[in-house]
Amino acid sequence: MVNVMKGVLVECDPAMKQFLLHLDETLALGRKFILQDLDETHLFISADIVETLQARVDDLMDQLSIPVHDKGL
Amino acid sequence: MADDDAPSDSSLLVIVVDTNPNQRYITEDPKLLTGCLDAMIAFANSHLMQKSSNLLAVIGCHFHKSEFLYPSPGKPLDVRQIDGQYELFTLVEKTIKMRLVNLIKSQPQDDKPGESLLAGALAMGLCFISRMRREAAPGIRMSSRILIVTGSSDTAAQYINYMNVFFTAQKQQVLIDVCSLDKHLSLLQQGCDITGGLYLKVPSLEGLLQYLLWVFLPDASERGQLVLPGRGRVDYRAACFCHRELLTIGYVCSVCLSVFCKFSPICTTCHTVFKTGGPLPIKPKKKKMKV
Amino acid sequence: MSESSKSKSSLNLNPSPTLQCKDLHEYLKSRSPQFLETLYNYPTICLAVYRELPELARHFVIRLLFVEQPVPQAVVTSWVSQTYAKEQSKACEALSELSVWQEAPIPGGMPGWMLAQSFKKNLKVALLGGGRPWSMSSSLEPDGKARDIAFLDAYALERWECVLHYMVGSAQTEGISADAVRILLHAGLMTRDADDGSAVITRAGFQFLLLSTAKQVWLFLQHYLHTAEKRSLSAAECLAFLYQLSFSTLGKDYSTEGMSNNMLVFLQHLREFGLVYQRKRKAGRFYPTRLALNIARVRGSAPCAGLVPQPPQQQQGYIVVETNYRVYAYTQTNLQVALLGLFTELIYRFPNLVVGVLTRESVRAALRGGITAQQILHYLNQHSHPQMLNSETGGIRATSVLPPTVVDQIRLWETERNRFTYTEGVVYNHFLSQADFAVLRDYAKSQGVLTWHSERGRTMVVTRAGHDDVKRYWKKHSKS
Repeated sequence: MVNVMKGVLVECDPAMKQFLLHLDETLALGRKFILQDLDETHLFISADIVETLQARVDDLMDQLSIPVHDKGL
Repeated sequence: MADDDAPSDSSLLVIVVDTNPNQRYITEDPKLLTGCLDAMIAFANSHLMQKSSNLLAVIGCHFHKSEFLYPSPGKPLDVRQIDGQYELFTLVEKTIKMRLVNLIKSQPQDDKPGESLLAGALAMGLCFISRMRREAAPGIRMSSRILIVTGSSDTAAQYINYMNVFFTAQKQQVLIDVCSLDKHLSLLQQGCDITGGLYLKVPSLEGLLQYLLWVFLPDASERGQLVLPGRGRVDYRAACFCHRELLTIGYVCSVCLSVFCKFSPICTTCHTVFKTGGPLPIKPKKKKMKV
Repeated sequence: MSESSKSKSSLNLNPSPTLQCKDLHEYLKSRSPQFLETLYNYPTICLAVYRELPELARHFVIRLLFVEQPVPQAVVTSWVSQTYAKEQSKACEALSELSVWQEAPIPGGMPGWMLAQSFKKNLKVALLGGGRPWSMSSSLEPDGKARDIAFLDAYALERWECVLHYMVGSAQTEGISADAVRILLHAGLMTRDADDGSAVITRAGFQFLLLSTAKQVWLFLQHYLHTAEKRSLSAAECLAFLYQLSFSTLGKDYSTEGMSNNMLVFLQHLREFGLVYQRKRKAGRFYPTRLALNIARVRGSAPCAGLVPQPPQQQQGYIVVETNYRVYAYTQTNLQVALLGLFTELIYRFPNLVVGVLTRESVRAALRGGITAQQILHYLNQHSHPQMLNSETGGIRATSVLPPTVVDQIRLWETERNRFTYTEGVVYNHFLSQADFAVLRDYAKSQGVLTWHSERGRTMVVTRAGHDDVKRYWKKHSKS
């Protein structure tokens, strides 16, 4: 029988997908949230996690960025 | 949102209108002049209608002098709307007509009308364009062109002046368009070819406005998109410096490249003495410096 | 603006939709054909609409202007060279959208185009004359106390800044009427505070502040027209009057004689926002200001060159951006400093100069507030110091006067926030047969609700909105 699940389709680059898989495996957001791994660039996740996830990704971006200029104070 | 709007180019059009009374179409039927003038004014206003940033200048070219018909020097006329026409268009029409009357009235009565001073009017147009470019706010791109509307016949008397104007225009990236009302004008056609403008000999005066709107209204950047009359063959004959006649084969000064229809032992332009039959001068380069 | 339409379908990811600022074309497109028909009875509107058309469309109109019978569509196509077929179809589309021309059959069965009668008639009136004069041009005695352009500019600027200052909540409520506040609220630029009912600025409001003055005025007036009907003002009449103002001459006085009562009310509103100057309410004459004149120039951001006098110093650019992300702003007004503070980190403040730096944090804070990178860049571009415009190397002109590194970096900061696209949806999997999967997939595709599918995994994702429909279809299909 056909199975039906509600959630959110996420489209991203493969690198970011790996990061999401990592978060899912390590339970970094407190629980598993990936409902289905669709392909290289698509994931299906539960809807209520999106905001937490977005904040987490922002954190990652903050860690990655290097100040490109000095303020010259 | 039109946020990605590139700075809107303004386009400056200078119309040189030949008002010489000895043009053939005027001598045959003087009333035709009014018709042509109305068509020209409607065309000028259509240019202003294209964009609010478009600019216009009209120069009247007579046989004794050339004068700006629009914009009028000094304070603009105070016009109020009389009908549904856009105020600016009314102003253009009124100003041109009033100043044209003044220009015609100022012509010397006893002189026989000579040749129209088109080259001079063109030079005035180029000066106006360069002033507008200088005064434009920084960062504004302005494309400029000159349209000549004339019914005079082709003469080579102003050959050198024409060439100077054409090459200046080419350098300034000003297009020169020519709309001939009567005869084929090979000299002015050369100017169009040099500057990348369009040349059109109007087949009939009745539809003048339509010809103007179809061919000359598109801006330089828009012309590539529309199908417009081609260049055709351009007659590149030069006029000789001695009799101002168009030549296919002539004599050319080896120093200053002046063209002559008949051989003369001394170049009238740079005063080089040609040694006929004798050996060539040993150092012709030195003489070039004197020119 | 594709982002905003995308964000509608996506989740509450971007809670603040980006501010919409339609130009005249888009505004009219959204109106009904009947409304357009009424509008085309005003020569001013025809003129304004004509100027808003794409370049090619303008030439089509002018070529058809003096033609009385329909012209075959094939002929119109032949006017444009083959390589520009795309521009040509865009031009034709624009003309049809605005009902400037209609399809008309030609004897012989070929499809043809014909300009709308009223549009053709009134554009001719505007261009060549005839018809009745516009309502405000009755002759006037010379004004004893005529106002010069500098005065009008100062007046307009002061009035408009009054509205802007009110928006940023500088607590000064004098000089702004209840009507103006109502429009700001209606436009969603401000909202009533839940606690004390005072008006506070919204995110859209901040984006509004970043627009150029001409766009601000136009957006504001669009919302005014929306609310106009409630005040028993006819939107068509108001719009026609506005464009009439925009085609008037700066520094000239116009008469109020013969104007209807409604229009006099409208004039008073315009006076409040600084679009017109009137000495007294009953003065019988008014002067349009630069704000009113600029309505017709929303498209082109470049100020008019040449014969029109240049705007005063305050309206000229004041921002210098350097390649090291520093921003120098020569300004004294708190409003401009506050706006700059939205997306820069301010370091120094001098009496006439503010120095800030564009940092990742400051730009991201702005992005989080719903401001787009495009808006930031546009603001910086719009207000570039004349020095920046002049410093360009001769001949080569980039699309922006800002340093390319800064432009790219701001764009990158925006895109790094958008590495994910979220689409709410429903996944269907575990299909028993390939045929079942194919049937449902094709159905979803035909309904336009399919967002993703995989043949191999027999899995497909449909949008939330399309789910019910697809479910119903599936039930019907599996029963039969």
